[in-house]
Amino acid sequence: MNILEISEVTKNFGGLTALNDVDMHIAKGEILALIGPNGAGKSTMFDCVAGVYPPSSGTIRFKGKSIAGLKPWDLCRLGLARTFQIVKPFAARTVLYNVMVGAFLRTSSTDKARDKALSVLETLRLDHRKDMLAGTLTIADRKRLEIAKALATEPELLLLDEVMAGLRPTEMDDMIAIIRQLRGNGITVFIIEHIMRAVMALSDRVVVIHFGEKIAEGAPEDVTRDENVIKAYLGSDYATS
Amino acid sequence: MSRKQLDMTLLALAGLISFGLPLLIESPTYLQILILLFFYAYLTTSWNLVGGFAGVLPLGHAVFVGIGAYTSTILALQFNLSPWFGMLVGGMVAALVGVAIGKPTFRMRGAYFALCTIAFSEGVRVMIENIDSLGPIKFNGPRGLLIPLKGESFWNYQFMHKEPYYYIILTMLVLVLALTWFISRSKMGYYLAAGGDEPDAAQALGVDVAKYKLIALGLSSFLTALAGTFYAQLMLYFYPKGILGLDLSFEIAFIALIGGRGMIAGPLIGALVLRPLNEFTRIYLSNQLPGLHLVIFGLILILVMLFQPKGLTLPLTRLYDRLASKITTTGA
Repeated sequence: MNILEISEVTKNFGGLTALNDVDMHIAKGEILALIGPNGAGKSTMFDCVAGVYPPSSGTIRFKGKSIAGLKPWDLCRLGLARTFQIVKPFAARTVLYNVMVGAFLRTSSTDKARDKALSVLETLRLDHRKDMLAGTLTIADRKRLEIAKALATEPELLLLDEVMAGLRPTEMDDMIAIIRQLRGNGITVFIIEHIMRAVMALSDRVVVIHFGEKIAEGAPEDVTRDENVIKAYLGSDYATS
Repeated sequence: MSRKQLDMTLLALAGLISFGLPLLIESPTYLQILILLFFYAYLTTSWNLVGGFAGVLPLGHAVFVGIGAYTSTILALQFNLSPWFGMLVGGMVAALVGVAIGKPTFRMRGAYFALCTIAFSEGVRVMIENIDSLGPIKFNGPRGLLIPLKGESFWNYQFMHKEPYYYIILTMLVLVLALTWFISRSKMGYYLAAGGDEPDAAQALGVDVAKYKLIALGLSSFLTALAGTFYAQLMLYFYPKGILGLDLSFEIAFIALIGGRGMIAGPLIGALVLRPLNEFTRIYLSNQLPGLHLVIFGLILILVMLFQPKGLTLPLTRLYDRLASKITTTGA
């Protein structure tokens, strides 16, 4: 069963076509990576899926139902959570406070929200930072906090926008382990990623877009051997290495 | 003594002092100064619900004070209803007006929202100043409304001494402080703070930011209007420029900014600093230069913003924490 179905989605900003007639889907329990050069339309796709703005044409179905007219908070309630490429912590509040905002989606009790937030922080091995102000965290911890907030809303589909960017190799290995663990817990993961090592390690399937159009789709090993993909995005160095 | 015991002892002491003060203060003038101090602390705490927690800057809250005063007074004078009842009606009217203003304006960010609230409240003031009567309802234009003295009567919300007013506003202040304390620890408090800090991130976490801001503004308007009725009954006279004017709106915002926006004790601390200052500059300086107290306000605001941009509550809390930890460690 497909948890997300994107059909013939086009998004124009004035005269600029950010997405052009893109079809893609994600099966339940899958990890799908969306890759492509800067400006290819990856974040635009996330914004359309997360309800930030509607596509100019085409339909997006989440769990079989069209999301037309739904706002980000409606979608979040239905079980779709996202992180932002440029992390947006509530900087002047503690880490625990940040995650509790997410946890309040499924409960009105402050005690329950705190318990939920603490258990999410434990999952992400961030519990030792719970009393720190979010604005004082390192970039690696901020990325984790971003995931923790989204996770606290108990999503079925998690959209991760470049969570590897800026991480050191060891931190990246931790992040890869975390994302695998999320999938192990039954969460479907849709990632945008530039770092190919992470894409190869994580994804079941890869979709490549370029200038708003889908140019390839398939298993990571196949996609990275695709001539169009090498030309448009990876570069010949990647193919030979 | 543990930290919690210390907090509770001090809180009880503060409660006892504020409860006992009218027994010690015989001069009605000084009691009046205290009443107004609590009145402003109450207004600012109500303002803080939206201006502090929700992270927007409304600068026209006087309009809700005015709605409260006019509603209860008109209902009392012309329809013979108790001001207590009028107070609730005024609160509900204010809440409706607040939601009606908030709905279109909360989309604006930063200064534009503040400008809209100023424009709206000034618009209402000018309108009231130009309306003598509307059908059977008398507004008396710029002259305002005078409440005839009817003698001591709870029903009429009129008392011959200051003490009852003191206890009424003290109760209102304690209740509104308790309410903000409760809200700040609830889902609504978290949602308001999140929506104020990072609206996009909050929305992605399932927060309908606009809805929560509207609830906060409705509640804040309701509470603010209650104080309008109180003011009318305390003074027995009010006029548009005083009760609907920008001076009042700005003073509320000043108190909040100096005390600490978004902090529960902020409005109280701001009022404790600014109100006495206001009264004494008014008494001693206003004959020389009317409005001088606002200039002094502005200067203090600039200084506080420069050196303590989050208001005075934060450094005071730190000071208290340090003192408390000394007391609790040496005492134990």
